[in-house]
Amino acid sequence: MGLKLENVKKSYGDKTVVDDISLEIDKPGVFGLLGTNGAGKTTTIRMILGIIKKDSGEITWNGKAVERKNVNFGYLPEERGIYPKTKIYEQLLYFAKLKGMDKREADISIKKWTEKLKVSEYLNMTAEKLSKGNQQKIQFISAILHEPELIVLDEPFSGLDPVNAELLKNVILDLVNEGKYIIMSSHQMTSIEEFCTDLLILNRGKTVLKGNLKEIKEGYPANRISLSTKENVEKYINELNLEIYNSKDNDYEIKIQNEEQGYKLFDILAKNNVKVLKFEIKKPSLNDIFIEKVEEEKIK
Amino acid sequence: MRDLFTVATFTMKDLLKRKSFIISNIVIWVIIIALFNVPNILKMINGDNDTSSSEKLLIVDNNNVFEGALEILKQNELGYDIQTSNDELTFDNIKEKIENGDINQAIIIKSENGNINIEYIVENLLYVSEVPKDIVSSLSTIYTNLQISKLNLTPQQIQNITPNFSFEMKQTETQEVQGNNIVMMLLSLVLFYAIYFCAYQVSTSITTEKTSKIIETLVTSTNPRTIVLGKTVGIGIVGLIQVFAMIIIALISNNLFLEQGILDKIVSIENLTPFLLIMTLVYFLLGYFAYALMYALTGSTVSKPEDVQSANSPVAILAVIGFYLAYFTMMNPTSDLNVFASIFPLSSAFCMPFRIMMGIATAKEIILSILVLILTIIIIARISIKIYSNAILNYGSKINLKDIFKFYKQN
Repeated sequence: MGLKLENVKKSYGDKTVVDDISLEIDKPGVFGLLGTNGAGKTTTIRMILGIIKKDSGEITWNGKAVERKNVNFGYLPEERGIYPKTKIYEQLLYFAKLKGMDKREADISIKKWTEKLKVSEYLNMTAEKLSKGNQQKIQFISAILHEPELIVLDEPFSGLDPVNAELLKNVILDLVNEGKYIIMSSHQMTSIEEFCTDLLILNRGKTVLKGNLKEIKEGYPANRISLSTKENVEKYINELNLEIYNSKDNDYEIKIQNEEQGYKLFDILAKNNVKVLKFEIKKPSLNDIFIEKVEEEKIK
Repeated sequence: MRDLFTVATFTMKDLLKRKSFIISNIVIWVIIIALFNVPNILKMINGDNDTSSSEKLLIVDNNNVFEGALEILKQNELGYDIQTSNDELTFDNIKEKIENGDINQAIIIKSENGNINIEYIVENLLYVSEVPKDIVSSLSTIYTNLQISKLNLTPQQIQNITPNFSFEMKQTETQEVQGNNIVMMLLSLVLFYAIYFCAYQVSTSITTEKTSKIIETLVTSTNPRTIVLGKTVGIGIVGLIQVFAMIIIALISNNLFLEQGILDKIVSIENLTPFLLIMTLVYFLLGYFAYALMYALTGSTVSKPEDVQSANSPVAILAVIGFYLAYFTMMNPTSDLNVFASIFPLSSAFCMPFRIMMGIATAKEIILSILVLILTIIIIARISIKIYSNAILNYGSKINLKDIFKFYKQN
């Protein structure tokens, strides 16, 4: 059960923006939808929510076609929008009513979520007087105040300061614990890694990687070293012909072919009495996997 | 239906609370009150607050040309407070009297070598282009009668040379037009602006939602048809409230500021029947719906606020064509073109209420006109909602006519 996409396609004229995508979210949790700009994420989300029609394929929720009457969903779009001249309470009430709540239910929900996201003091203010971050929290509330089963969050953390990002993370974790199905699209890979159990990476409308995040990462060898030293050690790294793909103030991110190369580097540093603050042989991060997959597709 | 009500209510409340809306309405109300005070303002400007008094006119006849007959002028209703004098008054004497406010104007009659010379003196000739015709005519008549009376004619001879003509006006057209054409055209203009600006609000509202990106949340909350119709209904109700408010303010202003009977002279009160009122409201709403739905279409194609004007201009052109078709054919309300204008959907809302008011619209024409307008609204609604549904999430470059056809063809 849950959400299922089978061979979904969408084209605009000659341009195919979503090409034969299939995915399944069969248990509550956060599903990551990743991709570069213009990869087809938003089009996929819009098709899932029925805002735009697919050209072919099947999209079902609990075996039924995804329509407003079959699915109780909430959506936080990437394009932030809020009525600037309308009071926060009035616009939240408006969206709650459109989602089928009566005034009493809406009032209870508005109170609960505005307190949880620390914006209850702004209820009688017009939206234009709020900071961008607070406006974003209001829009997030409008996406979830009707207790949807399926929640789609498109870039939920962009524009939030670390404190508010942490607040939102906790709310998302609460929603997961309540058994909600969440699709999250983000460019911030750390957020995706933190929440997602399963993911799909899109590039130019095509699926380049999908599956369980843990299993995907396990499939990759430990081919990175994260090194931090008290002095410049580039000459020792170059001795082994290793590639530094990121460096700053004696902090290095180094690519290796196998773990043996890592041990060799560590021996050289030890022999030369280099004071090592950090040495970690690690698997690629989701960010590394994402970049690698996109680069591979470019070469193809 | 519940969503439609929710969208309509939200749109209404949102509009009614907007500062710009409140201010513009207050300005309109002030203008209405000011219009009803025009007679009072004119009196104040003329420095005469006493409504019973008129311009003071002094007629000086020191050569006694009129032999005292000028007293008759006081009995004629010429709209002047006439004083007569046989004293020898110079131009400077008259000037002093005008400056002191004793009189507003003067006529000095002089007889020189058998010729009668009349001087008309006012404070400033800038505001007077000629000697008032009624004064010239009255003086001529009095003088002629005075001279005739000296000829010792019999009453029959006098009657023969001063005939009392009886004038009667008749028309060849079978339809009798009631009311004042100019007033009808002015009211048509008011109705046009009421419909046009209410309809324009729909476009503004849709464009605001699109450009401020609220639309994406909105279309996942309810369907596009509900959004378009809900907005149109909400703004339409606000428009009706505005029209009612204007009528009430006009009626109160009439009772408070206007002299009894002045309005009757401009608009025949007996023509303002409940049927006419209902039909005017029906045409206001139908006309509004037709134009509002067209504006919903153009509003949904706009991605940037600066493109609103150019996107809406085709509808504005149609509205102006419709209005002028009604306006100019109203100069000849019994013409076939005026009948066409009262049935043609772009102009019927501006034309038919006034054909009804003038008593020349037949029941068949009214029914046909309403049916054509309703059918047009249904067609426009179907097209607009379809294009709105496909264009509303398009944030790309400016949409042209080709794109609009493409959006219409999309499923």
